[in-house]
Amino acid sequence: MDWSMGGYGFYVWGSYFCTAVVIGLEVFSLVKRKRACSHQVKEDKQEKVRKAESSYVAQAR
Amino acid sequence: MNLYKYASPTAFYPLAGKMIPWFAIPAALLFIVGLYVGFFVAPIDAQQGDAYRIMFIHVPAAWMGMLLYVLMAIYAGIGWAFNARLSSMMASSIATTGALFTFISLVTGALWGKPTWGTYWVWDARMTSTLILLFLYIGFISLQASIDDTRRADRAGAVLALVGVINVPIIYFSVQWWNTLHQGATIRILNKPTIVPKMLAAMLIMLAACWLYSVAVVLIRLRCTIVEREQNAARFAEAT
Repeated sequence: MDWSMGGYGFYVWGSYFCTAVVIGLEVFSLVKRKRACSHQVKEDKQEKVRKAESSYVAQAR
Repeated sequence: MNLYKYASPTAFYPLAGKMIPWFAIPAALLFIVGLYVGFFVAPIDAQQGDAYRIMFIHVPAAWMGMLLYVLMAIYAGIGWAFNARLSSMMASSIATTGALFTFISLVTGALWGKPTWGTYWVWDARMTSTLILLFLYIGFISLQASIDDTRRADRAGAVLALVGVINVPIIYFSVQWWNTLHQGATIRILNKPTIVPKMLAAMLIMLAACWLYSVAVVLIRLRCTIVEREQNAARFAEAT
């Protein structure tokens, strides 16, 4: 393979670079959002457990 | 097996989580194979030299931009007509990926246009209608983000998506209907393709990779949307 792309390297590699940047940004933002969601799900589960425990304690009293 | 139960966002959430690796891993592998075939196996084009290799990302991105818009409109329409929350969430999840693929197709098209046509941009029917597609995606995303009530946001988005779907056949047939600088279709469903099989193979592999990647990222985004919306709904219910 000719890495200079026959003189069209800027256009060819530029295209693939732009694509990689856009896809990379999408994946990065999704990973960040997914982490935030997972954190929220964990917090909610803990909240539910806390509520269930407190209602159980209240009933036991 | 009752498939209808997966119409519920909470039931679909774990299923989507299981499906993601089945799309993400083959997508990554196919990207590697597609790039290998595109750069090392496909021959140099007689007219355009190596500049044509932009095609292996430009064409799949352009197709994905159009396909995802149609899918988004279908899901938005179903969500609107049947009040199906998951469909509306799916439409919202598709929009960003569709917009990004349309953006990639415009940027790579401009970078391909300079060495082949001598200009990055002309107000040609194909390019202008693709730019309108990007604006439609941005409009859909902005409209949904600007309305707090998710149900109303979904309905408004669905109207815009369904009206905008008319642009997709305009993009596809623009090269036939008008005299454009953009070349005509090389691959047609009914006719034999006019490109070398190795070039076609690379392009189809890249298309499959883009398709699998889209499904994977849309499912990840959908799972986040489900969590965020269900949380919002639960908090709203608690507050009232």
